[in-house]
Amino acid sequence: MSDRGGSDQVYPPAEDSALLLRAALREVRPTDRVLEVGTGSGYVAAGFSGRASAVVATDINPHAVASARTRGLTTVRTDLFAGLSGPFDLVLFNPPYLPTAPGERIDDWLEYALDGGPTGRVTIERFVADVGRVLSPFGRVLLLVSSLTGLDEVRELFVRAGFVPFIVDEEALEGEVLYVLRAMRDLCRMGA
Amino acid sequence: MRKSLMQILCCPVCKGDLVLSVTEESGEEVLEGSLRCAACRVDYPISEGIPNLLPQTACED
Repeated sequence: MSDRGGSDQVYPPAEDSALLLRAALREVRPTDRVLEVGTGSGYVAAGFSGRASAVVATDINPHAVASARTRGLTTVRTDLFAGLSGPFDLVLFNPPYLPTAPGERIDDWLEYALDGGPTGRVTIERFVADVGRVLSPFGRVLLLVSSLTGLDEVRELFVRAGFVPFIVDEEALEGEVLYVLRAMRDLCRMGA
Repeated sequence: MRKSLMQILCCPVCKGDLVLSVTEESGEEVLEGSLRCAACRVDYPISEGIPNLLPQTACED
């Protein structure tokens, strides 16, 4: 792992960050306990932190959690939410979603922010499979995905995990469309 | 990290409870210390106010 250190090892806020923040500001309620997974620079979490009851931000990248802490955020260095028990009322994630072939990989911390594996969905699959563990019964998830990630495939992941996903925001960029998926437990199927 | 954060933290491996040891603090804020999982017999460090809950066998930076 190369370690040049500092801000060039942290994903800088981009169009996807701005779109997730816009959706978060519409979604967040004053009583919410919020978790942002993979916070990077902390831009999204800091953008709505005054509107929630509590905010925790995680990242696997040590430079990212240090950067987010300088914004006044409560940060935990962990893989997704591995070291958290919750419960959270709202979980946000702008994941690594770019399909990346093994030969394209770059060996540094920014790779964690971008590399979604061959399908673009490797990290998203782990997130969806386990997010229910840290989510309150009526908790909501906001997940940013790209058309490059396979929107239908991501929706199917949520459905198979017992969630109802739908699109709450989108923005067309050059060569891709970004979406924010909102997901809640399928209460009709609970206990079925 | 604030001490109240303990309520929502767990061992990243077994998901069990952690025990906080403080070596440096400022009010409610823990700056240096550790989080111990008794079941796994592992200490997770808290450094510069940030708990590191990566499995301790993992390749470190």
